[in-house]
Amino acid sequence: MRKLLISTVIAATAATGAIAQAPSDVAKARRAFYTLVGYEMATLGGMAQGKVDYDAEVASQSAKDLLTLTGYHTADLFVPGTSNEDLPGETRAKADIWSDMEGVQEKGMAFYQAVVELNDVAGNGLDALRPAVGKLGGTCKACHDDYRAADF
Amino acid sequence: MTDRLEKTYLWDPVVRVLHWALVIAFFTAFGLGKFGPDQMTLHFYAGYTVAVIVVLRVLWGFFGFYTARFANFVKGPGKVIAYARTLPSTTPSRSYGHNPVGAIFVVGVLIVLAMQVLTGMLSDPEDYINVGPLAQYVSIETARKALSYHEPLSFLLLIMVIAHIGAIFWYKTRKGENLVTPMITGYAELPPEKIPHRQ
Repeated sequence: MRKLLISTVIAATAATGAIAQAPSDVAKARRAFYTLVGYEMATLGGMAQGKVDYDAEVASQSAKDLLTLTGYHTADLFVPGTSNEDLPGETRAKADIWSDMEGVQEKGMAFYQAVVELNDVAGNGLDALRPAVGKLGGTCKACHDDYRAADF
Repeated sequence: MTDRLEKTYLWDPVVRVLHWALVIAFFTAFGLGKFGPDQMTLHFYAGYTVAVIVVLRVLWGFFGFYTARFANFVKGPGKVIAYARTLPSTTPSRSYGHNPVGAIFVVGVLIVLAMQVLTGMLSDPEDYINVGPLAQYVSIETARKALSYHEPLSFLLLIMVIAHIGAIFWYKTRKGENLVTPMITGYAELPPEKIPHRQ
């Protein structure tokens, strides 16, 4: 899994022209991927913040789905020429992603590790879930801060 | 011009405590926002503290001590321009409370602070842990808009703070007036004729 994620991000730098999809479609698919990540995160975040009752099974399933998503081959979602400079209004992905793939990779690894840790504890009660979700949400923020614009 | 100066009660304890509490709360919120942990709970608490300070100061601006009330220090453009003309001179201002130019800063910084608190509480950074408490009541588009204003506003506030400190240095070096001590002790050396309710 770890290897897969790293190779994914490295491959993204060289993915130019590998797939002949319209840039808008790339951005749309990328947002769809993160919409799925966010969907599972919303469930976990809701539980961690007490907005939704904790349910060990639901929490474990969401954590597992996140783990599944980390196995998604994202290189073709990061085709160059699909930043918010190239596609204003369609994506918030900053051009910094493509100029600093190493940094993105680091943030991605932190996210992946937090997802793994979350999977270890998601079913062990709310007190175990909360810090793991906090840590995972922190890895979302760290990447958003550097590589995603606040607004379209 | 030689003024006959008297030790004068200038800033009441509410104004002084709120001022220094704001210094601490603002820099805590700013520092945590920029450099703090990714789980921003402490930034939120610092922001709520700023919110409470702003609300109390606005209320005090209507019901507080003489020098704290907006009606006593907010002036029209004529007086603002007249006062602004005296800024370059070496003559001490000996103002009893906020001068007409300072009044613009006071009202301005309260407005920008209120905007900063509001945009922070409306922000949704979509990390599911640092979501502003009011974000759930607005659309995601509004929550993103709020997020996009929150950081630029923090820089505007930092510039306002620097201007504020710059003005204090100006008064000290150019006019020989110490504005810091009265904000700590509450007392300033002023000519009696400058105190409205003594005339």
